[in-house]
Amino acid sequence: MNLISFIITLIFLTKTSYSDEKMLALGDKEYGQHLAGECVTCHKANSEKAIPSINGYDKEVFLTVMLAYKNKEMENPVMQMIAGRLDNEQIASLALYFNSLK
Amino acid sequence: MSKYTRRSFVKTAALSATALSMPSIAFGALPKVVVIGGGAGGATAAKYIAKDSEGKVDVTLIEASKRYYTCFFSNLYLGDFRNYGSIGHNYYGLAVNRGVNVVHEWAKSVDPAAKKVNLGSGGSISYDKLVVSPGIDLKYDSINGYSADVQSKMPHAWKSGTQVQLLKNKVKGMKKGGTFVMVPPPNPYRCPPGPYERVSMIAHQFKKSNPTAKIVVLDPKKKFSKMGLFQEAWQKHYPGMIEWIGVDTHGGLKNINAATMEFETDLDTFKADAASVVPAQQAGAIAMTAGINKGDWCPIVAGSMQSQADENIYVLGDASIAKSMPKSGFSANSQAKVAANHIRGSLTGSKVFPARYSNTCWSLVATNDGVKVGASYKAGAEKIDVTSKFISKTGESSDLRKATYEESIGWYEGITSDMFS
Repeated sequence: MNLISFIITLIFLTKTSYSDEKMLALGDKEYGQHLAGECVTCHKANSEKAIPSINGYDKEVFLTVMLAYKNKEMENPVMQMIAGRLDNEQIASLALYFNSLK
Repeated sequence: MSKYTRRSFVKTAALSATALSMPSIAFGALPKVVVIGGGAGGATAAKYIAKDSEGKVDVTLIEASKRYYTCFFSNLYLGDFRNYGSIGHNYYGLAVNRGVNVVHEWAKSVDPAAKKVNLGSGGSISYDKLVVSPGIDLKYDSINGYSADVQSKMPHAWKSGTQVQLLKNKVKGMKKGGTFVMVPPPNPYRCPPGPYERVSMIAHQFKKSNPTAKIVVLDPKKKFSKMGLFQEAWQKHYPGMIEWIGVDTHGGLKNINAATMEFETDLDTFKADAASVVPAQQAGAIAMTAGINKGDWCPIVAGSMQSQADENIYVLGDASIAKSMPKSGFSANSQAKVAANHIRGSLTGSKVFPARYSNTCWSLVATNDGVKVGASYKAGAEKIDVTSKFISKTGESSDLRKATYEESIGWYEGITSDMFS
């Protein structure tokens, strides 16, 4: 399964089992800006390299992907480690912050 | 002064302009942060303090070099995977985008009582909070026969720049079928997998242009970072070319004869046609002038990166004792963000969040064959503690190894943008 269809499937699955709105309501954009310091060591704006830019990322896709890494449903040990220690409030805060960027 | 002459007016006007442009008590001073060292720790700290304080903190970065060549990825330059220009960076972004005062000077000493940094040119800069991020100095006398003079013959190339260019020339110019001797440093040192990535990149060069050459690694350690991964890669990509000899086999490096290029150990005397010798290391000398070191390195408070000796000084990166965090550019960048948040909090009252650190070290072992090791950390009661970790596995698919290498390129673009723009 390619990454896109995997993500779409995950979005579908999580939509039915988890309320994105409820999770996003836990978030705080300013807290997200602080936490984002850890992300931007690797994730650059306008990158075309192997590590994608996450600026302007869809909030719900962000939640879905991060939860998938946290639950080790998506591979990549770096992302599993980073997502693994973020709680729902922190993931939601990051989703709101990165979504607000261009 | 009885009369306001034109000359005195000009002089007074100039003084007022200076007073207005420089914060001082009389004009409702901005708090001052001085950062020593423009590498992964210092450049990141200067940027984040300036960016996040939105003009409420005056930030000065003291860095002698106008162009900064990263140590990370310098091995890829040795292997012809990067050109030299691509690992060089400047400070325009910090000055122009972030309003950091970039001072290209040598920071000579720190006066912690007067809270000022003395410059090589004779002036000084005062601070409210100081960030010390000088990287390493080499302990030349840690190996008999090695010295600052010998470094041009047997480059350590453990600070990026001309030493790395010199080493590449030695590798490319080595006689056909010759022997290259690599001496890695003892623990603790900058970039734990670095010596072994270097061996891989030199082997990659030899495989292309000097396939009967040999590499002998005389290690002062019994084991090393990502050992299984490197040894697997050496056997796979460079069979018969690399001989790694640990200290429990060679018994210790007794002497280097730079004139004859001989390396004397208990086991044998090895004759080199070219060599790289990386001696033991310590925190950059400026840290010692501040009196914040305990032996070779600087103890820090795990939750803030503050010096244990002085609450107004923060120590980042290689110079600090961050315990389980390796001395790496990634670590320094991560520590800088914790320190920046803490400094801003203490100067402007902004919110201070609990420290969280992370690190990943990628190494390239051959074309499209990358490996990585990493961990996340938190501030424990006494020191920085590991919260989770990972490492590449032996026997991984070539697709995964290629993806890991490509990820490292993405990381390089990311971290250098994070540091300098």
